[in-house]
Amino acid sequence: MKNIITIIVRLTLSCLIAAFVIGLFFVLTSKAKKHNEHVNEEKVVYSLLGYKGDVRAPESLKLYALYRYVVSDPKGKSIGYLIPTGQGETAAFSFITLDLDGNLIEQKQVTVSAENAVDREGRDKAIQAALGSGKDITYADKTIIVTENGSRIAYLVTGKFPGFKTFISAMMALKPDFGVRGLAILEHEEDPGLGAEIEKDYFKNQFIGKSFDSLKGLDVVKEPIPEEYLKALESRLQKEEAAQIREKFKDHAIYALTGATISSRSVTNGVKGTVKKFAYRLNILDKVLKDQKIAVPF
Amino acid sequence: MANDKSSMQLVANGILKENPIFRLALSMCPAVGISTTVMNGFMLGIAVLFVQVFSSLTISMVKNLIHPRIRIPTYTLTIATWVTVIDMVLAAYLPEAYAKMGIFVKLIVAFAIITMRLEMFACKEPVGASFWDGLGMGLGFMIGMMTIGLVRELLGSGAILGYDVLGFKPLLFFILPSAGFFVVGLMMAFFNSIEIYYKRKKGFKS
Repeated sequence: MKNIITIIVRLTLSCLIAAFVIGLFFVLTSKAKKHNEHVNEEKVVYSLLGYKGDVRAPESLKLYALYRYVVSDPKGKSIGYLIPTGQGETAAFSFITLDLDGNLIEQKQVTVSAENAVDREGRDKAIQAALGSGKDITYADKTIIVTENGSRIAYLVTGKFPGFKTFISAMMALKPDFGVRGLAILEHEEDPGLGAEIEKDYFKNQFIGKSFDSLKGLDVVKEPIPEEYLKALESRLQKEEAAQIREKFKDHAIYALTGATISSRSVTNGVKGTVKKFAYRLNILDKVLKDQKIAVPF
Repeated sequence: MANDKSSMQLVANGILKENPIFRLALSMCPAVGISTTVMNGFMLGIAVLFVQVFSSLTISMVKNLIHPRIRIPTYTLTIATWVTVIDMVLAAYLPEAYAKMGIFVKLIVAFAIITMRLEMFACKEPVGASFWDGLGMGLGFMIGMMTIGLVRELLGSGAILGYDVLGFKPLLFFILPSAGFFVVGLMMAFFNSIEIYYKRKKGFKS
């Protein structure tokens, strides 16, 4: 009996010490980890826009982040957006709340520095402070609006949708008319060799160039990819030739991955759903911004 | 049981006489799995080196406090703690390397070589000797991984450290996991033959 107690006490103690060491290092590394995530995201953003390797983004290119929140108070739920209102160097943010029919409820100034706005914790705190007590906010998603010389050239939308096993998280670059400009799979846990192929060029590049209309009814077909299309998707051809072939398959359904029809279908449906919802939301937001004459840099 | 070997002898012992890969044939799974290039082998080797040294030190320091009945759980706990620490540090400061070998770093918990060294050496010897032994074993593992990586990278993709040296790819087969066994086997034979030759020269009977 005595032995058992000694063993239990000692094992517990060792576990506690181990937990302390691990916790200490977790705290020490958390800042660098956050920074890495941020850098990673930026890399994905620029590569989706086509600025990678030697191609540098021009000076006139500006990215504006739009954060969507669900605001709940005793009366019901409403949608909130944190929008940048400042021009150039002076960063200013406003939090606007819309009801479910798309009418403006209120607009509040949010005092938060540009650096803190990137960080979720700091952002949530600032918004909560601006709204006052009695309202709960839940972070929903983030959209990046890309402008060049003041006019919109692209939207970057993140979406999370169910895959074969768990959720697949993806980022899409959309043209101003909501056609797809690029797709990047950020996180997934599909089977290697089967579902994991969704992150390969020959699958995800199939979405490039799909217009909003063809996206709405996009389907998945279980057919082998034609040889020339495969070459074009994997960028093994000259630019002009590849563009021609892509044009030919522009409105064609997505070719499913061999042995991973479910993954292919869930990505297709996920992209479809995310883009459709985004287009709907953005139109409402744009209408409100225009009607209420809220000045925004994008 | 006092150790009469000097520190350098302990390090050399880990690298040559008791090399984890070529002589003890422990932890072969990662050796075969990840040693496709010199760089991969080097990075996993560094991670193993740190875990081995820190675990050896920790166990050697607390060896009188460990209840003999629960020594194996204690070893596992110690190794797991250090692996988690290394994992977090790598993820934070070397994200690109981590993306490539993250899953193998977590596997270090189950590496036979580390537990074996704690059981055979660190729990009996003083702190200083344990440190040198851990260093030797870690270095031995790292060098083994790098040598296998060198052969496989050169024969498989015709390059060393990512630089194209041959200009063509001699045998793609060597990149595949199964080729790891061939390389390890050939290297073992090579090391053994050197030892036999050496002993004969000295006049020992093998």
